[in-house]
Amino acid sequence: MSAVSVQAIVGAAPSPIEAPDVDYATISPLLIILGAAVLGVLVEAFVPRAYRFVTQIAVAVVGVVAAFVATVVVGAGLDTVDGEVTGRGGPTAMGSLSVDGPAVVTWAMLLFFGLLGVLLFAERRLDGGLSAFTSQASTPPGSADERHATRLRIEHSEVFPLAMFALGGMMFFASANDLLGMFVALEVLSLPLYLMCGLARRRRLLSQEAAMKYFLLGAFSSAFFLYGIAMVYGYAGSFGLAEISTAVSSQIGGQNLLLAGMALILVGLLFKVAAVPFHAWTPDVYQGAPTPVTAFMAAGTKAAAFVAMLRIFFVAFGGARWDWAPAVWAIAIITMLFGAIASIAQTDVKRMLAYSSIAHAGFLLVGMAGLTSGDGVTSVSAVLFYLVAYGAAAIGAFAVVTLVRDAGGETTHLGRWAGLGKESPVLAVAFTIFLLSFAGIPLTGGFISKWSVFAAAWDGGAWPLVVVGVVASALALFFYIRVVVLLFFAPPQGDGPTVAVPSPLTWSVVAITVAVTIVLGVLPGPLLDLVQQAGAFVR
Amino acid sequence: MSDYADYLATYASVAAIIGVGVLLAAGMLGVNRLFRPTLTTPAKLLTYESGVDPVGAGWAQSNVRYYVYAFLYVVFAVDAVFLFPWAVVFASIGWAAAIEMAVFLGFIAVGLVYAWRKGVLSWT
Amino acid sequence: MNGLVVALALPAVAALLLVVLRDMLTDRLAAWAGVGVSVVVAMLLLVTWVGGDGDGYVAEVDLVWVRSLDLHLHLGMDGISFPLLLMTALVTALVCWALVDDPPRGDNATPGLVGLLMVVLTASIGVFAALDLVLFFVFFELALIPMWFVIARWGDPHDPVGRRTAATRFLLYTVVGSALMLVGFVTVWALAGTVQIPELAALGAQLDGGWALFAACMIALGLAVKTPVWPLHLWLPDAHAKAPTVGSVLLAAVFLKLGTYGLLRVFVAVLPGPARDLAPWLGLLGVVGIVVASLACLRQADLKRLIAYSSVGHMGFVVLGIATLTEIGIAAAVFASVAHGVVTALLFFNAGSLKRRFGTAEISVLGRGMYARMPALAVVLAFASVASLGLPGLAGFWGEMMALRGTYEAAAGADGAGLGEALAAVLLVGALLGVLLTSAYFLRVLRRTLQGVPTPHDADTDLAGSERGIAIVLVVAVLVLGLVPGLVMGVVEPSIPAILGGAR
Repeated sequence: MSAVSVQAIVGAAPSPIEAPDVDYATISPLLIILGAAVLGVLVEAFVPRAYRFVTQIAVAVVGVVAAFVATVVVGAGLDTVDGEVTGRGGPTAMGSLSVDGPAVVTWAMLLFFGLLGVLLFAERRLDGGLSAFTSQASTPPGSADERHATRLRIEHSEVFPLAMFALGGMMFFASANDLLGMFVALEVLSLPLYLMCGLARRRRLLSQEAAMKYFLLGAFSSAFFLYGIAMVYGYAGSFGLAEISTAVSSQIGGQNLLLAGMALILVGLLFKVAAVPFHAWTPDVYQGAPTPVTAFMAAGTKAAAFVAMLRIFFVAFGGARWDWAPAVWAIAIITMLFGAIASIAQTDVKRMLAYSSIAHAGFLLVGMAGLTSGDGVTSVSAVLFYLVAYGAAAIGAFAVVTLVRDAGGETTHLGRWAGLGKESPVLAVAFTIFLLSFAGIPLTGGFISKWSVFAAAWDGGAWPLVVVGVVASALALFFYIRVVVLLFFAPPQGDGPTVAVPSPLTWSVVAITVAVTIVLGVLPGPLLDLVQQAGAFVR
Repeated sequence: MSDYADYLATYASVAAIIGVGVLLAAGMLGVNRLFRPTLTTPAKLLTYESGVDPVGAGWAQSNVRYYVYAFLYVVFAVDAVFLFPWAVVFASIGWAAAIEMAVFLGFIAVGLVYAWRKGVLSWT
Repeated sequence: MNGLVVALALPAVAALLLVVLRDMLTDRLAAWAGVGVSVVVAMLLLVTWVGGDGDGYVAEVDLVWVRSLDLHLHLGMDGISFPLLLMTALVTALVCWALVDDPPRGDNATPGLVGLLMVVLTASIGVFAALDLVLFFVFFELALIPMWFVIARWGDPHDPVGRRTAATRFLLYTVVGSALMLVGFVTVWALAGTVQIPELAALGAQLDGGWALFAACMIALGLAVKTPVWPLHLWLPDAHAKAPTVGSVLLAAVFLKLGTYGLLRVFVAVLPGPARDLAPWLGLLGVVGIVVASLACLRQADLKRLIAYSSVGHMGFVVLGIATLTEIGIAAAVFASVAHGVVTALLFFNAGSLKRRFGTAEISVLGRGMYARMPALAVVLAFASVASLGLPGLAGFWGEMMALRGTYEAAAGADGAGLGEALAAVLLVGALLGVLLTSAYFLRVLRRTLQGVPTPHDADTDLAGSERGIAIVLVVAVLVLGLVPGLVMGVVEPSIPAILGGAR
């Protein structure tokens, strides 16, 4: 820091600081969720153990539902802004949050995923009356202490406040309007997830390894993100997306700082969305984490990170589009191809779904290459629709994974799934519907989402991406088909898989996600209209 | 729609150079691998550091109790960092500032309360 | 209510009911339900067609499906699609009828199988009636999944691995093909700004240039897999051979027509300019297919595989007809599609009857002298074979005749033909060679199975029950198509200008 600026800070008379003017009503969904999280911490501290689990569920569900209602109210009250592009809503809380159409839609989407996640967390009928989470994370796996804790029926009901914190972070991430806020949100959403990954009741070593890997790589990527922010600040002199955008379009010189900053921020975000070559953590973490957490994480993190990425790159770096687009193109292509090809070699259901999640990150990046405005499907609306369809199917697929079990807990080896179609036709059909949606077969949400991102990309001139995307989906289909063949036609190994009888909680998650997947395939109009009306980002 | 593709085509040379680079490196290493003799002995496969054989396991743990120190330090240090500048402008903003600082302190207190109830603060 | 929409929805509802009520239905009841629904659908289509004013598309409906993607639920039928629609419904009825006496393996499996067949029926009607490219694609894909299940689940009971491989290969070939087709559709949409087939056809020759050619290549590739055009036919022989009888019949009679119909409706009508550029290649591949398939048939040991390869040959004639881009060629394509549906259905039903009796369709196992052992079955097989090789007076004749005639016209330098004179002459010679070879292999089969000293077998039983009824219906259909081709031609001819409109 130069002497002049030190002088400026120390010597100047304390200029009157205005009390920040915050419109609490507009950001109420965010406040409700974070409030529910804090309340959950207090519940954990004071409510007796016997009532704790149920109280936590109640707090989380009420919080999510209340936040959802608040989101709908906020969304209905957004003003239409006519700028360069049509948008709704605008910055609030001193410009640190942008509650615009895409942000509100993402909030609603995340809350929906959050509700499904909480229902899965709450399932206790699968494992002898205990939840999927370890009794006491601090005991060494397989030790006498662990058995003692299990016998006492101790449970980590902290997952509910942790999930609420993560959810709050995701919602903040999707609507943050300056880079610093984004970084805070990124950490708020990541830290609870690192922790939750290590809480599996079964196969705890795998789970702890997953948490460790996720934490180390995540911390590394956060550092990239932060370094990028610093560089962009050096270039634009501001953290605000609007000011950066102005600087990008008008400022001359300092391009190197901007380019380096964009690249580093892109790396940080691509890590979160699991795009190649920043995907290495995904299979291990998805496999090791407790399956309900995987479901929540797969749907929620991807949605929040993609919306944040679109916001940064469309709003702040929109003027430098020709500089970042080639990188996005290249990464989209290798991500789609790698995800599709690598999933072919998988023998574990959760790893397979992880690679499919990588491939879907590629398809979503194709959407990002599309148009930012126009009459047809824009990038933002296509990506939002895709995220809903993918998230619903992913949560549903992981919910099915929690139900297929043997004596050692969930049995995720694909070979053990042979003959599921005979054991439980309903479950097998549900899983097939999710796989067909991942594959993009018509009349499932996956088809309309692929069609809309491809349409947006084609309008944006990204036809090579569309061609590669179609080829990659055909490739990926090979694998999904293999799984379906296994479910229905392969002879079962030994006694075949057993399907645990779940409580209505898990059943309702499977039923809701199947319904959403099919409705989005047959009648996608209402949701498409909604995301279309959400308009563009407002800075 | 194609001007964008044309623009991207200018990156083709970059892609070509990357490709040539990868091929070159892989080729050199590959040729090396093909021609060199590989005679491994147990001694050659040993991990070494500055010519010294490793001693003991690579895994050392520090006592978990120090976590409490770190925890309390973070709680109160972060408090202090925000309290000092707040104290400077408190008078000019007024009650709003008091309430907002109370909310902030409340959040910190919730964490502390949780730690206390979980028995983190007791030494044994 | 629009008859076409009801015909589309009825099988879907029936499929749902069959699956939901499967425990309350017996095998026979489910099969009869399938027959009933298919016949009602056929009647509906017929009544709707007769009631239409014959101008443009009959029973056209255009509802917005997804507003923001500009997708429409746009349906309608004309003289090109109506014969195929009617044939589809009737063949499905016969297929369900066959299940009455020959229920699939497994406890009470018929409701499930008939349910899948009803989904196939809905999807096929959807493809033939769709006037929106994306809707076309949706139904095109929708037909695949149930068919894949039919082959993988109820295919050849003696070869569980083989039938799964065949089913998966069938699915992967067609899905990759339709993925390419989707790229083509997206391109068309980007070029023309609409996916409504009538609007696109009206644009006609305006879609031209490199991108249109790219789109046409993609669409042609996708449809060529389905049709199939040599050398993309590799999925077909296994799929037909391993499928259960009902699957083989539907594959041959209906599924291949989805491809040829697409070539007419999407490739020729929507992209006339590029179609003209690609027509010589298409014609060439068609004729190569005719000759190669005939040669392959001469070497087949399995009756079902032989019929499957003969389908490749017949589709070669259809493709050749389309490639001429003459009126008579297009008419040939439609007529040959319908005739092939009826004749090959009869052949596959026969082969299925044999396979049911002998457990295999190997010609060497079937033995000789079938005329003496099972007279009715043998006569029907002989009849179907000569119909398939194109004996005048039977259904197979007119399609081949008109395709050759179209090629001859092109060779003689007709205006607007898609083939150059010299090429057309070469193709004509090749196709004639194919006709000769076709006769040769069918006569070889007839000589080896039907004639000669009878070699009695325990399984010798003649046609009975529904087998007999199906044979009678199809024989009558073959005779009617062969003796009164005007019935179909009268329907087809008024609609040909709509297909060739842009190409002229």
